[in-house]
Amino acid sequence: MTRFIIPLIAVVLFFLEPVFSLFSPIELGDVRYTLVPRFVIVYLVFIASYYDLRKAVLYGLSFGLLYDMYHIDIIGIYTFLYPLICFLAFVIIRQVHRSTGTVMLLSLFMVVLLEMMSYLFASLIALTSINFEVFMTARLVPTVIANVIFIILFGWLFKNLIYKRVVEKQAGM
Amino acid sequence: MPRFFSNKRLILLLVGVIVLVALIAFSLKDRQSANLPEKMVKDVVGFGQSLFSKPAHSITGFFDDIDGILNTYEENKTLKARLTEYASTEVELADIKEENERLRKIIDKKDDLRAYDPIQATVISRNPDQWEEKIIVDKGENQGVKLNMAVMTANGLVGKVVLVTKFKSTVELLSTENQNFRVSAMIPGEKDIFGLMEGYDPERGELIMKRIDSGFEVKVGQKVMSSGLGGIFPKGLLIGEVTEVSTDDYGLTKLAYVRPAAEFSMLDHVMIAKRQSATVKGTDDPGTSATEGEDGS
Repeated sequence: MTRFIIPLIAVVLFFLEPVFSLFSPIELGDVRYTLVPRFVIVYLVFIASYYDLRKAVLYGLSFGLLYDMYHIDIIGIYTFLYPLICFLAFVIIRQVHRSTGTVMLLSLFMVVLLEMMSYLFASLIALTSINFEVFMTARLVPTVIANVIFIILFGWLFKNLIYKRVVEKQAGM
Repeated sequence: MPRFFSNKRLILLLVGVIVLVALIAFSLKDRQSANLPEKMVKDVVGFGQSLFSKPAHSITGFFDDIDGILNTYEENKTLKARLTEYASTEVELADIKEENERLRKIIDKKDDLRAYDPIQATVISRNPDQWEEKIIVDKGENQGVKLNMAVMTANGLVGKVVLVTKFKSTVELLSTENQNFRVSAMIPGEKDIFGLMEGYDPERGELIMKRIDSGFEVKVGQKVMSSGLGGIFPKGLLIGEVTEVSTDDYGLTKLAYVRPAAEFSMLDHVMIAKRQSATVKGTDDPGTSATEGEDGS
């Protein structure tokens, strides 16, 4: 049963991202704060650290490709970034003690990393002209706050679900 | 410290980077149209997306309703005050419309740049990494949407269609920083002033209207609307209000900062304007080559 739930959650999160981004940008005072939901990558980091790197990279590739084709219209950015982030998460989690807290922290760190890389790409191909300072205050910080809420709310759920699947697999199902 | 990269992984990474660069170059080249697999993915994913977005809209709609009920008393008071005014304006408008039609008949002019058929559409998603201001709506080629059509809300113009598939279309908002995004605009007055909406100032949150002839005098507070001369947009869609006038970098033409009339966040329902008179390629069409060296600041 959990076998199907794991990819199903990824699909649901993929569809929820653009729904939540309908609420952004938020205008407070005179500044527009952009919130970027990065639910899929958080989930993929959990998969990479608790379950299987191969699966995580595979999901990363396919969801990255869908993301590029559907939203960005430039194929190759997230198709590359998602698996890369999964791989980095896997490399880092091997060095540290794996507990729910560290994995949550790691997924947050990966969201920051992904956001930085996407900023790098966007400024490289001239999609944006905002400078780094504005990027930090008007985009990165609100994004981190929004995703922290998401991670705190759903981190435990993800961990338990994936753990259940691992146990199931070890039992030979 | 274990080895970070084995040889196999290094090669894989290198191949990955090469494929990535090739793909980006390939898809950056032509962003006006999508090829068949892209279109299919857009339609299929779009279908799934609308399954998620429509319930979300109804939930936000519910909260809006509650908000509306709480404000009813205040709103009712102001509306009542304006109702008398409204009735007389309506009569006047009907009269003017009728006269306009009669005069048109006299001079035998059938085309009207103002006339358009609205196509109602629901926003199903916004580009989650918001580098580009793009939304996807649930009407496409089959419902009569074409490339570069104007998209608006009740408050005013919000953007234009940049990509169409069979059942969905992608809309780029006016608040984009894309240099090739232009809308032919005008400031109505005793003498109409023409210019191009080109660029967006993210720090001010305002649009920039460029290439205004320096002989004209633009005043703060004047309304800006689409001119209909761009070829695809109907005439008279409200864009915003002038907040500041200055000269451009070279001092040859004027530029005006325009506060947009429409909100660009929390979009849920939009209208796509299908112009009734014949459409031609023009400035609203980003296919026309951009003038190099123009730099908005």
